[in-house]
Amino acid sequence: MESNLVEMHHIEKKFPGVTALRDVNFTLRPGEVHVLLGENGAGKSTLMKILSGAYEPTAGEIVVNGERFERLSPKLSQQLGISIIYQELSVVNELSVQENIFLGRLLTVRKLGVTVVDKVRMNRETERLLGEIGLHCGPQTQVDALRISEKQMVEIAKAVAFNSNVIIMDEPTSSLTEEEIEQLFTIIRKLKAAGKGIIYISHKLKEIKEIGDRVTVLKDGEYVGTHNVSDVTIDHLITMMVGRELQNKYQSATREHGGQTEVVLEVRNLTRRDGYVRDISFRLHRGEILGFSGLVASGRTETMEAIYGAVPVSHGEVLLNGRKLRIRNTYDALNSGIALVTENRRETGFFHNFNIRRNLAIARQLKDSKQGGLYGLVSPRQEKAISAEQVRAMQIKCASLEQSITELSGGNQQKVILGKWLAAGSQVIIFDEPTKGIDVGTKSEIYKLMRRLCEQGVGVILVSSEMPELLSVCDRILVYFEGRINGEYAIEDATEEKLVYSATVAKEDAQATA
Amino acid sequence: MSDKNTLPGEKLKPKKTFSDYWSKYSTVLIMALMIVVFGILQPQAFMTGKNLIKIIEQSSITILLACGEFFAILLAGIDLSVGSTMALSGVVSSRLLGLGWNTWAAMLVGIIGVGMLLGAINGGLINLTNLHPFIITLGTQSIFRGLTVILADSRPVQATGFAQVFGGKLFGAIPIPILVALLVASLLTFFTLKSKAGRNLYAIGGSKQAAWFAGINVKRHTMLAFMISGVCASLAGMVNIARLASAEPAAGTGYETFAIASAIIGGTSFFGGIGMIPKVVLGGLIIGIINNGINMVGLSSYYQQICMGALIILAVTLDRFFGASSKKR
Ligand SMILES: Nc1ncnc2c1ncn2[C@@H]1O[C@H](COP(=O)(O)OP(=O)(O)OP(=O)(O)O)[C@@H](O)[C@H]1O
Ligand SMILES: [Mg+2]
Repeated sequence: MESNLVEMHHIEKKFPGVTALRDVNFTLRPGEVHVLLGENGAGKSTLMKILSGAYEPTAGEIVVNGERFERLSPKLSQQLGISIIYQELSVVNELSVQENIFLGRLLTVRKLGVTVVDKVRMNRETERLLGEIGLHCGPQTQVDALRISEKQMVEIAKAVAFNSNVIIMDEPTSSLTEEEIEQLFTIIRKLKAAGKGIIYISHKLKEIKEIGDRVTVLKDGEYVGTHNVSDVTIDHLITMMVGRELQNKYQSATREHGGQTEVVLEVRNLTRRDGYVRDISFRLHRGEILGFSGLVASGRTETMEAIYGAVPVSHGEVLLNGRKLRIRNTYDALNSGIALVTENRRETGFFHNFNIRRNLAIARQLKDSKQGGLYGLVSPRQEKAISAEQVRAMQIKCASLEQSITELSGGNQQKVILGKWLAAGSQVIIFDEPTKGIDVGTKSEIYKLMRRLCEQGVGVILVSSEMPELLSVCDRILVYFEGRINGEYAIEDATEEKLVYSATVAKEDAQATA
Repeated sequence: MSDKNTLPGEKLKPKKTFSDYWSKYSTVLIMALMIVVFGILQPQAFMTGKNLIKIIEQSSITILLACGEFFAILLAGIDLSVGSTMALSGVVSSRLLGLGWNTWAAMLVGIIGVGMLLGAINGGLINLTNLHPFIITLGTQSIFRGLTVILADSRPVQATGFAQVFGGKLFGAIPIPILVALLVASLLTFFTLKSKAGRNLYAIGGSKQAAWFAGINVKRHTMLAFMISGVCASLAGMVNIARLASAEPAAGTGYETFAIASAIIGGTSFFGGIGMIPKVVLGGLIIGIINNGINMVGLSSYYQQICMGALIILAVTLDRFFGASSKKR
């Protein structure tokens, strides 16, 4: 029998007020991809942080390469050949790609008897790594200038560069494009062939069948079971992690549009000053969910930022219920009834120094204020009411409202961000990749919620890179290509093929060949 | 999905760790320690009511400056110009007094016309250039000082009129500077805890980007923060000229160090978004106690500097390990 790379026995982890893990077992063999599955807050990241040495377990033991440990430290874990890609991006924006990759372990060379940093070798190594993961940027590019998916790829390059035996990947694909995911899978297969062990966490269930060998399911901090991926169906896994059968994961509630002509939001010739998007025009009708498809960097997020007043606009207008809006900044947009749920949770989504209550209430407080938020007093009672309601509605798993948001699991942080915007009571809500990092059960809850909002007359826009999501939730889909709208489909005649086609071939070219 | 953990109404009392206690009580602890040390070294002179009131009075300028400085640091910035602002507003008011202005009017111009204006200049430049406040206020520190010296003609400006306003004592016991500092600190405490603008400042300190996307007008709030800092500094300037009965062009030189030290010893995080005015006041008092106590013990004032410096480093180091910021991953 082959020996295990890692064994974790009877692991328990208690945080003040919460038991995150209870008697969990886990093993990793060489050359396998072991998927860790569970709902938001099930304890996946916590278990992995114990293995990476970031957390100490309250009980249990860890065996690495046959050696027993009560606990690990980040340094020890690294020495034992374990590296981790954390769920939250941990790249340093102010440094270059190369500096990030070699952060804390610069390559050195002895020159004239003095040890100095070996810039040449690091540069070469970085270029090789970047080529391997398919990231098209120079080693000296500042990470600040990269998009979120590219930052994630840098993070992956960093973990691979360690040449470790065990690589933990905590939701590496939540913000990657299809293409990048393929690149990642190629790398994973290579690592596997080299006999390394990979622990893989994801809420995208179809990836399990594609890349996984074994799967371990956690539920509410408890070990449910381990199976060979080939022996189980996705539905079976869902039942294991949710604890009940989930009906039609992707089927949205009844659609009853058609004949609806009332326009909630109209955008005319919107052009950003930096030119990322030009001449965008579209209409959002009452009672419909409008989807935005396209490749990453095709201009969808950039358009939404412009509508929301987050970036300067050179011309174009935004009309809400037929009234022209004057939006000079984000406050104007919020105040006139537009909300934007941003895609980058860590950087633009929440306040690490606020507890759950304050995070949930801030948008509503601002909306009710005057002068860009300068006037007015906070009402503790309103704050409590708002946040308690959202915790219930979004099923946020937390010990209390006063808990710091940093103590929540990644998916639950995402729910707080959604809750914050729902509490603001806006007339138009733009969701930019809202279900990133959210488990299957909650995902379908969020789709239902969007439909409900829509029925209440709120205009809903959904920007998503997941086509099944768009196809099941939206009533109409616009497809972006290179900073403009390149296709429009009513849901009845939208298919994945058509969306991909419009996302990759310019309208004019398509007509020319037809 | 829902389970026993998810009830929001339920008050779950998490077990407190040492870190929780430390982040709450570190400042009080340091202060108690200081009092005990000096109390033991100088039991008769130090621990008298009269001396304690003197300490608070001597600290009032530092406290005023620190309360303003707090807002700059809260936004993960810094205001190096508070000492110069203090001097310039003092000289302007004294000059106006010399021109025969009414004391109150001269003071009002010093506070609003100079303090608020200089703060607005700092805030405006920061917004305009997008440079770090360190750079901007390092520049304005020098500019404001230069203006002060020119306006004062390199000589102290007579200002006897202010002594009447600030020189008195309430109930014959509590000096007016203490009341001013207390009033300002209370107002600002209320502002930070209860107003939306205060809440927004904390949000900006936590994450500028997230604040912008949440709909907060970051520039206006930055402006506000530096204006508060300017007003506080000019109030300190008024207290100072009242105490000395003249406006020195070199007044407040190096006082930004005291202000920053108070804020930091008072647990304000240099990374922004974390801190409280009452603790900053305690931080100011701690510095007052050091200055007074070392004096009492009979050591030269150079030891004050050493002591204060060591304390800054100690406070921040301890905060790194146990404080609220140690929890942020
Ligand atoms: N530092 C902490 N302090 C207190 N509680 C914590 C802390 N870290 C995690 N928890 C709690 O432990 C539980 C498990 O969290 P964990 O991050 O492991 O979930 P997860 O399975 O990774 O979920 P997700 O899919 O949302 O990322 C959650 O209830 C969370 O609130
Ligand atoms: Mg997680």
